[in-house]
Amino acid sequence: MDMTLNAFTLYILTGLQLGSIFVLIALGLTLIFGTLGVVNFAHGALYLIAIYLAVSINNALGFGLALILVPPILFVFGVLMERGLIQRFYDRPHTDQILVTFGLAIVIQELLKWVFGANNIPFAIPSWGNGILMLHDYLPFLDGFVVYPKWRLILVVVSIVTVTAVFALLHLTRFGLVIRAGMRDAEMMQFLGVNINRRFMIVFGLGSMIAGIAGVFGGPVTQVSPEVGMHLLVPSFLVVVIGGMGSLGGAVIAGILIGMAQSFTAPYINLNTVIIYLITVVILLVRPRGLLGAKGVFE
Amino acid sequence: MTDVKSEKSSNTASGWSRRSVLKATSAGAVGAVATPLFYTQNAWAEEAIGNYPVKGSEVVLGFNVPQTGAYADEGADELRAYKLAVKHLNNGGGMLDTLKPSKLTGNGILGKKVTYVTGDTQTNADASRTSARRMIERDKVIMVTGGSSSGIAIAQQYLCNELGIIFMCGLTHSNDTTGKDKQRYGFRHFFNAHMTGKALSPVLSKEYGKDRRAFHLTADYSWGHTQQQSMQEFTEKEGWSTEGNIMTPLKTTDFSQYLSQVLNSDADVLVLNHYGANMVNSLTNAVNFGMRDMQKNGKNLEIVVPLYSRLMAKGAGSANIDGVLGTSGWNWALEDEGSKVFVKTFTDEYGFPPSQAAHTCYVQTLLYANACEMAGTFYPPEVIKALEDFKFTGAGNGETLYRGADHQCIKDILVMQGNSPSARTSDFDYLKIVDQVDAATVDYDPAIFGGELGPYVPA
Amino acid sequence: MHNQQSFWQLNKAVILFALVALTMPLWFPLINGYSGLDTKIMIFCIFLVGFDILLGFTGYLSFGHAAFFGIAAYSTGLMLKNFSDNIIPAIIVAVIAATLVAIVIGLLTLKRTGIYFSILTLAFAEMFHSMAMAMLQTWTGGENGLTGMPTPMLFDIKMQGSAVFYFSAIMAILMFYLAKRIERSPVGLMMKAIKCNQTRLEYTGINARKYKLLAFVISAMYAAVAGALMVVYEPFVGHEFLGWHQSGEVVIMSVIGGVGTLVGPMIGAAFMLYFENVLSVDLGEQWLLVLGLIFMFVVVFMPGGFMEAVERIKKRFITTADSE
Repeated sequence: MDMTLNAFTLYILTGLQLGSIFVLIALGLTLIFGTLGVVNFAHGALYLIAIYLAVSINNALGFGLALILVPPILFVFGVLMERGLIQRFYDRPHTDQILVTFGLAIVIQELLKWVFGANNIPFAIPSWGNGILMLHDYLPFLDGFVVYPKWRLILVVVSIVTVTAVFALLHLTRFGLVIRAGMRDAEMMQFLGVNINRRFMIVFGLGSMIAGIAGVFGGPVTQVSPEVGMHLLVPSFLVVVIGGMGSLGGAVIAGILIGMAQSFTAPYINLNTVIIYLITVVILLVRPRGLLGAKGVFE
Repeated sequence: MTDVKSEKSSNTASGWSRRSVLKATSAGAVGAVATPLFYTQNAWAEEAIGNYPVKGSEVVLGFNVPQTGAYADEGADELRAYKLAVKHLNNGGGMLDTLKPSKLTGNGILGKKVTYVTGDTQTNADASRTSARRMIERDKVIMVTGGSSSGIAIAQQYLCNELGIIFMCGLTHSNDTTGKDKQRYGFRHFFNAHMTGKALSPVLSKEYGKDRRAFHLTADYSWGHTQQQSMQEFTEKEGWSTEGNIMTPLKTTDFSQYLSQVLNSDADVLVLNHYGANMVNSLTNAVNFGMRDMQKNGKNLEIVVPLYSRLMAKGAGSANIDGVLGTSGWNWALEDEGSKVFVKTFTDEYGFPPSQAAHTCYVQTLLYANACEMAGTFYPPEVIKALEDFKFTGAGNGETLYRGADHQCIKDILVMQGNSPSARTSDFDYLKIVDQVDAATVDYDPAIFGGELGPYVPA
Repeated sequence: MHNQQSFWQLNKAVILFALVALTMPLWFPLINGYSGLDTKIMIFCIFLVGFDILLGFTGYLSFGHAAFFGIAAYSTGLMLKNFSDNIIPAIIVAVIAATLVAIVIGLLTLKRTGIYFSILTLAFAEMFHSMAMAMLQTWTGGENGLTGMPTPMLFDIKMQGSAVFYFSAIMAILMFYLAKRIERSPVGLMMKAIKCNQTRLEYTGINARKYKLLAFVISAMYAAVAGALMVVYEPFVGHEFLGWHQSGEVVIMSVIGGVGTLVGPMIGAAFMLYFENVLSVDLGEQWLLVLGLIFMFVVVFMPGGFMEAVERIKKRFITTADSE
């Protein structure tokens, strides 16, 4: 199949938007990984809470309120989760962390299923984001009729904004400096008298809040059913690890890479189903710590 | 070990061995004459198969439905239907009044009170088999029924066939269930992908014209493949051409990469050979891509969903399915006597009308019970023979044949269309009936799919 | 082994396990168990004991052991279907196939440690899973699973009912005995040294990679035996056997039972299967919710899993006995 410029553009856009979801979910995950050293199998469940909250608020009170309310609620939830459960597991083996967070993920999933049922809940896109964008009106190199859903382009923009904000927070503020230092060596920070505990709590909340943002904008794309959390778990872990444990930049690159790979292999089912695992294997064999992973983290 | 085998086979071939003669005499079958056993009505003197003979004053049925996982809501509705069927079998009422011919008494099955056990298939083949095995080994069920996807139904059908337990399939739509994977002990009342293609294609060409180009997105597993083949075959018979077909992995939740392909093609109809979450996602994605408001080749781009269910329609949302055509096995809006009485009793019991999954499960239970009554025994080979080529009416799909050659019910099928949000009056009429295609139209030669039913007495 | 330990002391665990296992058909129905589930528990005991040789001894957390379980299951199924209904050649071929795959995957993945190792094994296993679902579905049956095998035979014995149970139970006892032998052997000590401090071990000039690979391949062979037995027990292969849920389930069974104790993971397996298939029925639709809560409860309050709870009870019992 020879590829026209039109097709190529669609592939690129699809790759970008598929990657955007991965990036948004992996961002929180890698932040928690890198700073706290916790393998959080419940991160998909945090996203699940976010989409259920978002769809409920959206359908009852409108999208605006969902956008205002969901991320802060998730922040609080993350903080409570860290204080109530996760902090007991900082010094425990990864296997214990996996079991407790996997248990929590099941509990969250089943509770949501109990309340909302197993069936999908339609998430209506707000009118301002609905419909399609006539790309050929804006991009002169396109030939004829090329369209893309507005909402998915918005999702890409949201993910770019979120990534930028997190980078700015980590690189331009004192809080970020401490966190980044903590990611390198938490013990040293404790020696220096920095109250790393409180900051860890905030980091967990932050990771959870990003899942909240992902839920508000990703919900209409991933849809809302109890299975969604578990479906996203494996790919988002792969993104984090391919990117390199605790590396935000790595997670972004890996997310886009996986998205592109899925988009471009779409016509070839046999390749399409294995491509993300193939990429994982190749990258981890060539680069021991993923694309941008730091030495000594999670090894 | 080999001589045991040969004893068994000679037993069934000639009908009489010393052992069964002794058994027959002890059971008091004095009037038995020297005809081969498989010709006799009352074969309770035969050797034990599965959980036959049924001991005690109760008979246990096993309801194995998805209680966790993506199909849990469908499973819950199936379970409601099963409980209602048990209630009717024990106390009369429901379709017992409309099913014809029927030997059901409303006093249990063969005078034994009907009880049941339930299990969770988890929509996982291995888990469903372990659950079915519990019912069979521990709870001594005489029959297992349920399931809400083809892989699970086929997995259980093989297990039940090995163990000599009759399996009445719940919701399974793959051609394989009564095609290449058919089993002597497995029965399907629900229709299949082939029948969908046959029923839907003429309606499609009537609605959308004969000069159409279809693009298929197909879930990459046995059901998807058979659904796609059937749709392609029968739409091409109507004069359509097929622009392309992409297999989508079953695990796909975002279909935009495949929809980009469709946008790039010349197709003016999109056929989504997807079920459950796959269908909800692909349809919603397609709507997001503007495909419902798009023109191709000077015609409106149309979307077709060959297999519809109420839960899927609800999950995709009214606005998205508005006007989209597909097929269903049954709908609660049907006006025949059987459907009306079923809908009434179900609604009285639970407060809302049943789904097609509930319908097929309810009917399957009654048909099994009725076959036992007709055979006069729970002895599986006789029950199977009673079900084979059984013709009946009053169960909601017109005159129906339980075809003996492949254990597939040949019955009327509904062509459905998504209701617009404004036309919808409740949470249960997401779909409206466009056409009832009669059994003769969707009938087909059972030989086309191959497979072997196997012997009446399991090896 | 320097001081003469008695046969009883060396093999206490194995003998106790053998007693419990072989009498299972007698006592299991008393707690609402059933024939079939007991066989499955025996098979998973094999899987879990093998998994503990890797995770418990060396500390390497594989998230892809379903690969070996599943590959062996498919091989067994295809052998039974196309070659002979005798299970012996089928099992042998299955174990060889899975072992070869394990050597290749082991050589590649064991270069990495920690979470990188876990994710690599996961990626390999998911690759096989995806292939079984798509590329190879003509052979594997894809979503429908591999069906249509004849009744498996051990020469003239039909592998059904109690025959397949005792066959699995005896295999489980043998494999457990073997694992105990490995644990006591110098090789086992080396494996455990890897968990303690791999770098130090390498400074002493010992080739840690050799022992890591050995542990990995041995545990894969255990998984393969279990996978092959699954098909002997029920002539059916579901694609789920290869999926990450299967790999994850094994990890959970290990942790809930007690990693590194060999016995603990087997208890974990028995508990999970019993819960999923017996207790779940009484709990109804929300059984999975309860299971999730149990995971959390166990890991919060019993950090060493069930084995730790047993140890604690033992200790309390002994101290009170001493004080009297």
